[in-house]
Amino acid sequence: MASPDLSAGLVSLLPRLRRFARALTRNPHDADDLVQLTLERALARAHQLRPDAALAGWVFGILRHAWIDELRTRARSERVFAPEESGQHVGDARQGEQVEMLAVQDAMARLPQEQRLAVALVLVEGLSYKEAAHVMEVPIGTLTSRLARGREALQAMLGES
Amino acid sequence: MTFSDETVMAYADGELDGATRAALEAAMLTDPDLAHRVAHHRELRGRLHAEFDPVLSAPIPERLLAAATGTRGQARTGNIIALQRTASRYWAWPQWGALAAGLIVGVLIAPLLRHAPAEGPLGIRDGRILASGALAHALSAQLASNQQADAAVYLGVSFVSRSGDYCRTFTLRDKSAVAGLACRERERWRLEALAATRPPGSGSGQYQPAASALPPGIEQAVDALIVGEPLDAQAEAAASANDWRH
Repeated sequence: MASPDLSAGLVSLLPRLRRFARALTRNPHDADDLVQLTLERALARAHQLRPDAALAGWVFGILRHAWIDELRTRARSERVFAPEESGQHVGDARQGEQVEMLAVQDAMARLPQEQRLAVALVLVEGLSYKEAAHVMEVPIGTLTSRLARGREALQAMLGES
Repeated sequence: MTFSDETVMAYADGELDGATRAALEAAMLTDPDLAHRVAHHRELRGRLHAEFDPVLSAPIPERLLAAATGTRGQARTGNIIALQRTASRYWAWPQWGALAAGLIVGVLIAPLLRHAPAEGPLGIRDGRILASGALAHALSAQLASNQQADAAVYLGVSFVSRSGDYCRTFTLRDKSAVAGLACRERERWRLEALAATRPPGSGSGQYQPAASALPPGIEQAVDALIVGEPLDAQAEAAASANDWRH
């Protein structure tokens, strides 16, 4: 893909990349930083994009890697974020606290990162299971089980609206 | 017949194959609990969209446009391009309800960029979305006070912006059906806003938007930038004759 075409494709994808990043990262500024890093990496790796590959899936995959890198860096430097894979935070949706507008984002932020990715790709970005599994580099069965667990946890935290 | 949670989830996500889907749909007719489980899954998707979709129609920070176009180190905070603001305003019209929200920018811009650089109405250079070809020519040379009613590029108002540059609105009368606002930057016309002049799928060719009817988003962008009044015919001709320099 020639560079002007790639740039046009990336500009077209910008709104979705920003949405995807916000589903992963609560802070809007951090989310845009993530998008910016993704765009820079996409242009630097343009030669890796196969002509027949879907641009969106490829760029979402780059964003996923950038996000995971960021979480690792942050965990190392701050020692604040425990690895989220354990899911230890999921059950402790605080009851009785005020239900405010950020409830959905709070709930998303409490999901283990792999579940959050599955939810963001399928439920927010509308990717098929196959596409989402490809972006996450896992078999479809792994994707669906992460999606199911993420969904269940979200529903438990959010309750019926 | 009972269905596993994963099957119900897959159904709600549109991932079931024909036979299982038909069985589940038949079962839903007589099983309110099953129907409720499906509705519950879809409700969650709806809540997530309600939470995260607004960013789709937010203005795109210029640093991200610069990153997408390979222009480094020119992040300028506070300077945003109004592309999405205009689209979202227009999108609020009822007939836009079915449009895939994520494609607003893609729908409008990508086809305009996709032409060969010399031919298309827009190009990316130095991290800017610039008018090119016939659009750039019309912006420089065509006068709103003296143009043909069926001109391919129809010029609207011209004015001086808060940054002191000349800006002009235009409507493309081809099947792209967009209207925009461009401002003079050095020797070029920089795109400031872009909005559709009609809903998608409403046919092409026959429909000619009224020349004076700019999409609300473009009018909004003009209001945000304009200083004083729009140029009258005399001032427009003088500005054009001076190649839109002061």
